[in-house]
Order: sequence, then structure tokens, then C-alpha cells
Amino acid sequence: MKPNVCILRSDGTNCDNELFYAFEKAGGKSEFVHVNELRNKEKTLKNFQILALPGGFSYGDDLASGKVLAVELMSFFKEDLHKFIDQKGYVLGVCNGFQTLIRTGLLPFNTPGKMHATLTNNDSGHFECRWIKIKAEKSKASYFNELDFIMDASVNHGEGKLYADEATLKKIEDEDLVAFRYVDTLGKPTQHYPENPNGAMNAIAGISDKTGRIFGLMPHPEKFVDITQHPNWRREHFTTPHGLPFFEKIVAFVKAS
Amino acid sequence: MIQTIRVQTTKGPDLTGLGLLHDIQSQLHIDGVTKIRTAKVYRVEGLNDTDARILTEQAFCETINQDYAINSTLFTDAKHIVEIAYKPGVMNPEVQSILKSASDLGFSLAAADSSREYAFYGKVTREQVTQIIHKLNLFNAITEHVVLEEPKTLKITGKIGKVKTLPLRALSDSELTTLSKDTLFLTLEEMRVIQRYFQKIKRDPTDCELETLAQTWSEHCVHKTFRANLTIDGKKKRPLIKRIKDTAKGFDSFIVSAFEDNSGVIDFYDGYGICGKVETHNSPSAIEPYGGAMTGSGGVFRDVLGTGQGAKVLISTDVFCFAPPDLPKKDIPPGCLPPDYMLKKVVAGVRDYGNRVGIPTNNGSLHFHPDFRAKPTVAVGAYGILEKKKAQKGKVKPSDLILTLGGRTGRDGIHGATFSSGEMTDRTITVSGSAVQIGNAIEEKRVIDAVMELREKRYIRAITDCGAGGYSSAIGEMGKDTGAKVHLEKVPLKYTGLAPWEIFLSESQERMVIAVDPKHKKEVLDICKLYNVEATVIGEFTNTHRLHVFYGKETVCDLAMTFLHDGLPQRHMIGKTASNAASAASDAAAAKKIEKLPQPKDYESIWKKIMSHGNVCSKEPIVRLYDHTVQGSNALHPFGGVALDAPNDGAIVKPFLDKPYGLATTHGLNPVLNQIDPYWGSIWALTEAVANYVAIGGSLKDAALIDNFVWPFPDEASLADLDKAVDACTDMAKLLSMPFVSGKDSLSSTYRFKDKSVLKIPPVLLISVFGRIADVTKTMSSDFKQAGSTIVLVGKSDVKNLGGTTYFSIRNSQANSIPRVDIKTLPKTLAAVTKGIQAGNILAVHDISEGGIASALAEMCFGAGFGATVDVKKIAMTRPDFTLFNETAGTFLIEVANEKTAKKLFRNVPYAIIGTTKQSSTIEVFHGKKQLADARINTLKTAWQKPMKAYFS
Repeated sequence: MKPNVCILRSDGTNCDNELFYAFEKAGGKSEFVHVNELRNKEKTLKNFQILALPGGFSYGDDLASGKVLAVELMSFFKEDLHKFIDQKGYVLGVCNGFQTLIRTGLLPFNTPGKMHATLTNNDSGHFECRWIKIKAEKSKASYFNELDFIMDASVNHGEGKLYADEATLKKIEDEDLVAFRYVDTLGKPTQHYPENPNGAMNAIAGISDKTGRIFGLMPHPEKFVDITQHPNWRREHFTTPHGLPFFEKIVAFVKAS
Repeated sequence: MIQTIRVQTTKGPDLTGLGLLHDIQSQLHIDGVTKIRTAKVYRVEGLNDTDARILTEQAFCETINQDYAINSTLFTDAKHIVEIAYKPGVMNPEVQSILKSASDLGFSLAAADSSREYAFYGKVTREQVTQIIHKLNLFNAITEHVVLEEPKTLKITGKIGKVKTLPLRALSDSELTTLSKDTLFLTLEEMRVIQRYFQKIKRDPTDCELETLAQTWSEHCVHKTFRANLTIDGKKKRPLIKRIKDTAKGFDSFIVSAFEDNSGVIDFYDGYGICGKVETHNSPSAIEPYGGAMTGSGGVFRDVLGTGQGAKVLISTDVFCFAPPDLPKKDIPPGCLPPDYMLKKVVAGVRDYGNRVGIPTNNGSLHFHPDFRAKPTVAVGAYGILEKKKAQKGKVKPSDLILTLGGRTGRDGIHGATFSSGEMTDRTITVSGSAVQIGNAIEEKRVIDAVMELREKRYIRAITDCGAGGYSSAIGEMGKDTGAKVHLEKVPLKYTGLAPWEIFLSESQERMVIAVDPKHKKEVLDICKLYNVEATVIGEFTNTHRLHVFYGKETVCDLAMTFLHDGLPQRHMIGKTASNAASAASDAAAAKKIEKLPQPKDYESIWKKIMSHGNVCSKEPIVRLYDHTVQGSNALHPFGGVALDAPNDGAIVKPFLDKPYGLATTHGLNPVLNQIDPYWGSIWALTEAVANYVAIGGSLKDAALIDNFVWPFPDEASLADLDKAVDACTDMAKLLSMPFVSGKDSLSSTYRFKDKSVLKIPPVLLISVFGRIADVTKTMSSDFKQAGSTIVLVGKSDVKNLGGTTYFSIRNSQANSIPRVDIKTLPKTLAAVTKGIQAGNILAVHDISEGGIASALAEMCFGAGFGATVDVKKIAMTRPDFTLFNETAGTFLIEVANEKTAKKLFRNVPYAIIGTTKQSSTIEVFHGKKQLADARINTLKTAWQKPMKAYFS
């Protein structure tokens, strides 16, 4: 059975097509769902195994990136989300979706309505569109553990710097919630710009909650599931588009649970 | 009451504050300022103190790294605090989000606003602060203001304006001229035609009727010059537009629609068509660059959206011409903005709009010339896709409903169409300020999402965007063959107080008008509601052949469609080539001087200067601000190569992620050459555009052309130049068998000083190419792929004429003989490159343009991360500097595996094998045995990257 993937759209979502395509290519069954369709009960989360929040500028990123959507989700779907996650649902947030998950409090500690970390302005002070490298490490999102190669990925954001106070950061690290970090060409975590495009603390690019069922990251693996999506496919001769295994691992994990 | 909430970020650097402090110290040399803090200000109306606190903590402030104060200041110890806000009535895109979040949290607000506050610390006087905010252009007075006192209410109210009748019939010629000046921008002859119409129907016009006529007849909307009969240098010539449109004849199976719809549509694959449109937005950008660039992007996206029954926007492009950003302030004409400010703000506008709507911005260019100081050229393009069976412009039927979708109507953008048709003067900013507005990208995204679904369900009979001229233009145009009845009291307004004519003419952004069969009304309204798009029926199409507009029961406008659309007399215009009496003699003198130009002693230093010239240098810092990978569709990125910083010649996107097809687009322009020689400069521009297209692997038989003429006001000399440019376009279209399918002219690149003297801004012919690619894996990038390859120069270089080139510019040498494209061998050359790429025999291609062979070679090495050795004597025996720096469009540097391949591929076209790539960190240039340069790649790259880093880092 292919897992059903709810590609959640709201005003300003704009990486929904490529996320839809990535999940389909990785063996999921994607469906676009507008948040209003959940609000008016035309559609329900019950019919899905994966809830995916795409990148974009939900509601213009007004107030703060992903904020208005986070307020909306917490105002109307706190219970539904709790049930969804409780019943082995999987939640993915990419870029703006990650910003939204952080602002709902679902990441890093699954505390709906209470934020513990934030994604704030890039140290460069502006939006960045570039390709960088990330690497998976052993974490609570254990299904990524096998992705032991340096992954090329696109970043497209202005507010991607993971920031938390010392105690929170320690807790994130101690609980092994960091699944991906920005790395240099040798695969070492880096604070150097632009390899670390936003100045994220501890070079953190993606984190999960302690069950591994809620996961968010700033880079866009969904923009590299075909070889020709890479800026250098004409010179680097890839055999596998780096983003594809990322989605295959999620789909396999969801299928197995 | 109003609750004022201030939020500051306390953890981490205050980047805005630090940036401003840096500018104050480095640009204004005010050393007393020690620190600047910034805060966001929210004002909400209709909440008690407790609720204000809850709202703040839930929505406005994140206490992890932020702090807030309600109804008090955060910066108690600051010397001065300045708050900058949008003026009341100017659309603040954030307000809707504030209202939504409050509503989601269960609070109902009466009104809301947001703004930004700057706190100055240190020894600084109030006067210095005033100086800082003005000199550093911290705000634009057209749309923003300094908040001097707490507002008492955020609600804007006003009485509905009355319908006025103007006693037009009795006016004298001079009174007609006065009436037209600054608002209607019609000629006396046109004013007389209107006067006679109303004399005939025995009444005076309403304000709305007169405004509707002025808009419909504006140069911006009907292109009177392009439609005029011409006499050029005593010879009768057909209207420019007819000559261009004729190029589309004979392409029936390839063209789906040309010059009929909001964009031109050509055949794609699997029953789809692709469409393209390029718009200029110069006048608004000249006075409010941020808003002007935003609304330029918004408008061209809606042009694509409004094509057929709605097309999906795939890609956006932008081309700017500015004065050099370091132009001395004293050279800026009165009423004009400094170029560095304009550059930054235009880039910010494109960034904030395109990124939010989610359209990848992946092709563009930037040109500098001092004469753009009075008015920039800001061109924005968009390309989209739609099913061919939904690609014809829809025809409305009587009794179809008229629906407005999207943004509400306000007093913004009134007179945009007429103002854009006028010259710029020192009065433009004060008189035409209301013509400019701020875009709301998310509103546009919502409308796009809704229209895509309405199209899928086939509920759209006809659609058009509300651009210049607002409803007047959109409805007047859609109902041209039927008639229309409009009830302005039904139009959703941003605030009350607009006069009926203002509602009808307002150019408020993000609105579309659609015609819908009455039986689909409910379904259409439901779909719009799902996407949070406001949709309202404001009238219906009729069979009266009249444009009938009401406010309640009062008639606001009642005009015959025939007079509105066909009443404008066709112009007859006379053009005369400016006589260069001394030209023969001065040409000879110039030629002598050129011969005497000493050959460079130090090639490397000249090369570095070339690389850092504004028209050659890397624009990467700008491109990285634009989201060019959104939609995941890129198959050729703007930059590639080992360090991902080497530029490609165009963009290729895949409209369907699961299919191999590509949409490719490139462009070409050269204002400097156009200014010197309108005919050959235009040939160069068009050749550059198609050469770029061929370089990335496109085939010209699958591509079409778009023109943009951005020209000075057509006096006799400029008209003659324009005529020559059009001749160049049609000659080339014929030569290459390519059709023009869309185009636009903007004939107001003139600045008139108070003493009536005139500055003509350089004419810009921007040619864009777009087309289909069957398989994106057979396309090309510009980076050298391997060491030991053979480097070939393909095409015939003009090593004699370097007038207008970058090389002459840095050596202060002037000549009227500009690089000549070799028309005879060009088609064969282009075909040979295409064939080589498709056969997989070519490793890299870069076309030659500004900076010549030198810059193309350097850029290919930047991408490779290794060097090359070339001998320019293989190209020509003449001066090596002229060869190395020649800028002949239509020639290419090409990497192939070995000499044998080169000889086979290019045997029928001019070519020269000039060297090899090599595993080294330098580029060696020889002239025969003599080494001219052994330049370090990194040194060249640093010089090339430096200029734009200074403005965007």
C-alpha cells in the first residue's frame, strides 16, 4: 500500500508541486489539500499517513515566517494533529513548513502551542538561493541513518537560522534530535558562510522530535529528485539524485510502522 | 482604542540597525551615532489591554529571542526615535495577515497596521537624524511617511465623491490643452475629436467618460506611434506594428496566437502551448522603485495568467538599465532618484514579489550607462503554459456575468496608464505620486491558485488582468464587441471615499476580471472562497454595444463602444534622421584616432578592468536574492561550474517534472550600440538574444521572439531611429525564419529640464527569445568540462569595429562604427552549433558579448576551475587587442574533445581552433609566439565579482 501524503497548501505555499512529485516518485500517493478544506471538513487528516508542509511564504511570512499558518494550525487543529501523530502519522516540514512546525511548538519537543526554539533571520541579513551540502547523522530520525553521503541540496530562505537558548540546544543535542547538519566539502559540520547559509547554531539543518515522527529541515531535498534538477548535472554525472533516497526512507519508515 | 505594540529582537544582531549604522558612518560621515536599534510596530484597533497582551504573545512576539512593549517605548534611553509607516491608504500587505491571525485566535479587530521604528543612540541631533533618513532614503515619500503623532484611528473613511460634468463643449483650444496636461496626456487634436463627439450627442462628458477615453486612447494602451502611418526621411512607410506583426505570417502550425492576447502563445508538446510576455515598468520604477518593480512583476504574471482561459506562470525574467551606482549626486537631474538607491530597491521589489508568488526568477541582466540617470529601464518578463484548446482569447456572450477577483479597489495607481505615456520632469514625482503603489504578492498567489482551478473546471469564458486603466480598460476591452453594464457600487473597496470615476479607473493591483456564464456563478464563488479570494459580480455583458457604468441609479459613463475603441484618429507621423553634417569627416578622423590607440602594455590589467566593468561583472549577489529553484523546474540554472558561480547564457525549465520537455528563454540588448547606430545596434541585440538561445542548446525553429522598444519620446529624430530598429527586427526575423509573437513599446524615455532642454535616455531594444526543447538532456552549459579539450571560436568576428564596446569604454575611445554581425554566415553558424549540441559532440558553449572573447574565456574557466591557452592570431592577423576584446554577437567559444571534432562540426562555417583547456590556475593568451597575458583565474574572478558585492552583500 502506498502511504497517502497530504500536501498541505495555504495562501503563499509555493513548493507544493515539487514536494508532491518527490513523494510520488518515492512511492507515496500525494494529494493537495488546502488548509481551508480541513477547516470546512471537506477533507480530513484521518485519510493520510503523511502530512507534508511544503516551502513557500505562507500568508506572506507576515509577522514571522510560517507564523500565521502556525497560529491557524494551533487554533483549529491542535487535537487533530495530536491524534494524527499519536496514531503513527508522520509530519514533514520543509523550509517554510519547518518554520511553521517550529512556531507551532511541534518541533523540537512536540509541545503544541509552546515554542522552544526559533528560526530567525539569516546572518547574511537577506534571502539566499544557493546549493549547499548537508549530511545525515545518527539521530532519533533513525530511518535517515543510512544516508551516509554528502547531500547536495538547494536552500531558499531568509529566516533559516536555528536559534535556541543554551539549555534547549543542549537538550536537542543530548536527545539526538539533530538529523542533518550543514557541512563543508569534507563532510564536517560548519559555521562558515555560505556553506552554512544562515548561521544556524551547531550547523543544524534539520531536526526531529524524539519519536522521529515529526521532522523538519530548511534545505529542499524535494528539488533534487531528478538528476537534471542539479545545477551541475552536465559535469558531475550523478547516478542518484540526492534528494530521492530522503523521501524513499520516509516512505519506507511510514510503511513499516 | 488603538493598542501600539513594539517588538524588538534581543538575541542576535540587529542586522537592519547595523547596516544603517554602517551607511551613516561610511556614506554620511556622521560619527556621533554609536548604535541603532530597530523595532517592529503593530497597531491594532478595538482590543482591550488583556487581549492585546494575548495577541502579542501568540502572534507578534517570540520571547525566545524577542521582547515587546505595549503602549510604551522599548528604547527608553535612545536619543531619538523615528517611526516610518506606509501612508494611510497605501496598501500594507501585512495588515491582512494581522487581521487573520487575530481572527483565528478569536479576536475581532476594527483595523490594524504595522510599521518600523529606528532608535538612534549617541551624540546626534534631531537635524542629523532628519538628514540621515532623507539622505539614506530610509523611506520613499510617495508611499511612506514619518509618523509624527499617534494616530487616533486606523480606519479610513470618506464621503463618496460626486459625479462631475465638465463643460468640454465650450472650451477653447488652449483650455483643452490645459485640461489635458499632467492628467490626460492627450494631444490637442485628440481632445478636439472628443469635443466634437460630445457636441454631436449634445451633452458634456462626465469626469468618468473623459478619464475612460484618456485611458483607452493613451499611448500606453493603444500605442499610437506604432499604429501611425509614417513618412521617414521623405519616404512613406507602413505602421511599425504592421511590419512586426507580418513576421508571424506563415507560422500557422507553430503559432497558437500572436499579438491577440495578453501574451503570445506558441506550440509546445502533448497538446500544450507556451506563452511569453515582457513588460516595461519604467515610469513607476523611476519614482518609487520598490513598488514599481513589484507591480511590474505582478502585472506581467497576470498577463500570462490572463492568457487564453488562464495560463500557469513558469518563469520570470528581469532586465534593468541604470546609471552607474557611483554616479556623482550632482549629476542626478532634479526630481530623480540616485541610481544606487534605485538599483537596490528595484532588486528588492523583484525579490519580494517573485519569491513570494513562487515564480522562479532565473534569467536577466543589468546594464549601466550614465544617461539612464533620469529614468531607468525596468523590464520584467514571464512565461507560462496552458492547454492549446484553452489558449484562444475567450469571447464574452451577452448576459455573461462580470466578476472581479482578488484585491480591493483603492485610490492607488490612478492615472498609471496616462502618466506612463508622458515625459519625466521635476514635477513628475509630485503630480503623479498616486500612480504608484505597493504590490501584495500573496494576494496575487491566491488569485493564481483560484484561477488555475477555475480554468481546470472550465468556468472561465474570458479573462483579463486589471492592469493599466483598471476596470475601464479590462471591461471596456472585453465588452468591445458586445457592450457592458457595470455597477460600481458593488465593487469592494479598501476604504470609502472614492469618486465613481476613481473606482472605474483605479489600477489597484492583484485584480482579475472574468466573464462567467450565469449558471456557474455559485461554483465560481465557492472556488474563490476556498482560496480566500474575494470575488464579486459587478455587472454583466450586454448586446447594447455601449459601455454603460452606474453608481447606484446614477449614470457615470455611457459611451458607444465604437467611439471608445475606433474613434481615435490614426496618426500620421514624420521621422527624419538627425543629420550628422560633419559625419564623413569626423568618421575619418575617428578612424585615424583609433589606429593610433596604443596597444596595451599590460593586458592583464586591462582584462581585469573589463571583468569589473558594470556591463560585464558578475551579477551573482543579485541572482542569489531571487528564488530561482522554486517549482523544482530548473534544468539550466543561472550559475554553474565547480564553484557554482559561472554564468550560463539562458534559462531552461521543465514545465512537467515527469517529462523531458523544456521551455528555454534568453534575451539580448545593448543600449550603447543602439544609441550609436539604431539599425546595427538592433541587429546586434537580436543576434545576441538568438546566440544565447543557441548556446544553451535551443533550436531556433522551435522558438519565437518578443520585442520591447523603450525609446525616447518620438520626435522626428527618435522616430527615424525607431523605424530603423524595427527594420532591423523584421530583417532579422526574415533571415532567421523566426516570428515575433508579442511585443510592447514604451516611448517616454525623455527627461525635460525646467529650461526645456531635453535629456534623451538611451534607446533600449530588448529582444527576448522563448521556445520549446524536446529533451533537456541535450542542452548545454558554459563551463569548460575537462582539461585538454580543444577551444574553438565559431562564427565570423568583426575585429575592426569596436565602437561602443567595453574595451573602448575603458580606454575612453569613441567610434561610430559598432561591431557588425556577419549576416551572411550567421544562419549557418547558428545551425552548426545547434547540430553539434544535439549530436552530443560539444562540451561547453558560451556566446561572445560584452567583454568580448576575453570575458567569455574567463567565465568558462571560472566554471571549470582550471585554465586555458589560446592564440588570438588564429582568429585574425590584425591587432591582438581588437581581437581579444571584440564583441561580435553571433560568435561563440566552444569546447570540443579534439581538433578532429571541431573540423568536422564546423567545416561549413567560419571557425578558428584557438587553443586548449589545461590543468592550471592561469589563462595564457598568445599572439602567435608572443605571450600577451598569463592571468591568474582567481585574480580575474575577484575583479569580476567585486562590483556587485559592494552593493549586495
